[in-house]
Amino acid sequence: MHLDAFELHRPTSVDATVRLAGELAGRFDFLAGGTDLLPNYKMHLNLKPHLIALEDVGELHGHAGDRIGAMCRLADLEADAAFLDRYPPLADAVREVATPLVRASGTVGGNLLVETRCFFFNQSYFWRASLGFCLKADGDQCHVVPQKERCYATFSGDLAPALMALDAEVEIAGPSGRRRHPVGALYDTAGDGIQRVTLRPGELVVAVHLPPGAAHQRGRYKKLRVRPSYDFPELGVAVAGVWDDGRVSELRLAVGGVDPHPRRFDDLTDALVDHAPSEERVRALGEEVARRVRPVHNTFLQADYRRRMVAVYVRRALAEAREPVAA
Amino acid sequence: MSPSAPVRFRLNGQPAEAPCEAPTILLDLLREQLRLTGTKRGCDLGTCGCCTVLVDGRPTLSCLTLARLVDGHEVTTIEGVSPAQGLSPVQRAFVELGATQCGFCTPGFIVTATALLRDHPHPTRAEIERAVSGNLCRCTGYRKIVDAIETAARGGT
Ligand SMILES: Cc1cc2nc3c(=O)[nH]c(=O)nc-3n(C[C@H](O)[C@H](O)[C@H](O)COP(=O)(O)OP(=O)(O)OC[C@H]3O[C@@H](n4cnc5c(N)ncnc54)[C@H](O)[C@@H]3O)c2cc1C
Ligand code: SF4
Ligand code: FES
Ligand code: FES
Repeated sequence: MHLDAFELHRPTSVDATVRLAGELAGRFDFLAGGTDLLPNYKMHLNLKPHLIALEDVGELHGHAGDRIGAMCRLADLEADAAFLDRYPPLADAVREVATPLVRASGTVGGNLLVETRCFFFNQSYFWRASLGFCLKADGDQCHVVPQKERCYATFSGDLAPALMALDAEVEIAGPSGRRRHPVGALYDTAGDGIQRVTLRPGELVVAVHLPPGAAHQRGRYKKLRVRPSYDFPELGVAVAGVWDDGRVSELRLAVGGVDPHPRRFDDLTDALVDHAPSEERVRALGEEVARRVRPVHNTFLQADYRRRMVAVYVRRALAEAREPVAA
Repeated sequence: MSPSAPVRFRLNGQPAEAPCEAPTILLDLLREQLRLTGTKRGCDLGTCGCCTVLVDGRPTLSCLTLARLVDGHEVTTIEGVSPAQGLSPVQRAFVELGATQCGFCTPGFIVTATALLRDHPHPTRAEIERAVSGNLCRCTGYRKIVDAIETAARGGT
């Protein structure tokens, strides 16, 4: 499969990247490891005439202390067990992204901004042309929920729910300088499968910061997928928190793989604080989360099955977080 | 860079240079321009591992790598993993244990396994299975492949 013509840019600093992104506004994509972008480009999905490669921007690489650079490769995080083991949900998530060969190139920033997925979108140009294009690329209607307004493509990144449960922040650079906000605020909850992130024109993700408290928390990321060594999440449930004598003193829960963006459920988890998470409370929590998510049938597994598995995975994630299992 | 600019890198220990446009994929550069056809094109989308090469020693899917980004780097293909004479220990184990049938996936497995044994000379069976879990084989059923890598790690049959 050949890639259509584009111009490749290789800035070497964050400032130069932001400047270039400003000049090329709307006509470029950032290229990190390319494991998401290049398959999509090969399938002629929303091509741009310019690619800005982030490879040579030194500041984006590596991880140290509680900071992970956007260009940090998943395989490099995986190789640093001492670092990852401080953050069990993140460790679970990193080790289960795609395959070792994809993780060798795939980055943390690319994972947070991975394109949303749908059976009718992740297909060759020929396949899509035969059926009739859809809203998300080249067309004007949705084949999953037939209408012309809204795309239901699924957010299928593994790291976001784990980082959201850990209360991590993203550092963003753009034309008006640097800003930092919770990872969850990267995603446009008012948007859809097309308008999916809150980055403003010309902005890029520079790094992820883990809060000091995160390293002492228990947690887990549980991923539902078809082939355990390969597939994107059909559902991902992350929990992180603090248990004092069996009582929950802090708890966060984030879910991905079932909506166009990952979500946290703070109102539900706050209600558990200062309580022992009894079987009954955990079941009620799982069922309420399952009721609120909106999976549609655009991945391998039936939407109804994925929804029912939400309650099961919430229960398993909490049980394993409370009673850490030896890896 | 101009539309077609030379990419200079080390290929299997030798300096290499080839004119290359921005959208040229490393797999195409290797197979079509440099005629190193040991590296295979399976899915072309990152799912099968047939196209695995080493870039600065790291297993890399050449079908998802822009050729220009290896400028200044070191690329090793299956041709470079093979010694000038005979077979490498991993290759020999694949032959002796019958870990290859049609052979299409074999270069990818050999390159991945070679990097694994370089970094972890004594992997457990589970570590081997995990390391090659991004390489697909449609013929062997994997068992003999894992046997062969285990055997190579033990120093041969
Ligand atoms: C076979 C296969 C299986 C996969 N399975 C999974 C899976 O199980 N789970 C999963 O989460 N992913 C999966 N992926 C998708 C992908 O490999 C990972 O999400 C990976 O982490 C993406 O990182 P990347 O650096 O390759 O991103 P790229 O492809 O380079 O970029 C992805 C997107 O993010 C944007 N971007 C990248 N970096 C930045 C930045 N710093 N600032 C702003 N925008 C940026 C790019 O413009 C692009 O739109 C799979 C891919 C393949 C090929
Ligand atoms: S959910 Fe609808 S609009 Fe979105 S990618 Fe799928 S078919 Fe296209
Ligand atoms: S050809 Fe590259 S992974 Fe299949
Ligand atoms: S031997 Fe035929 S695909 Fe592996």
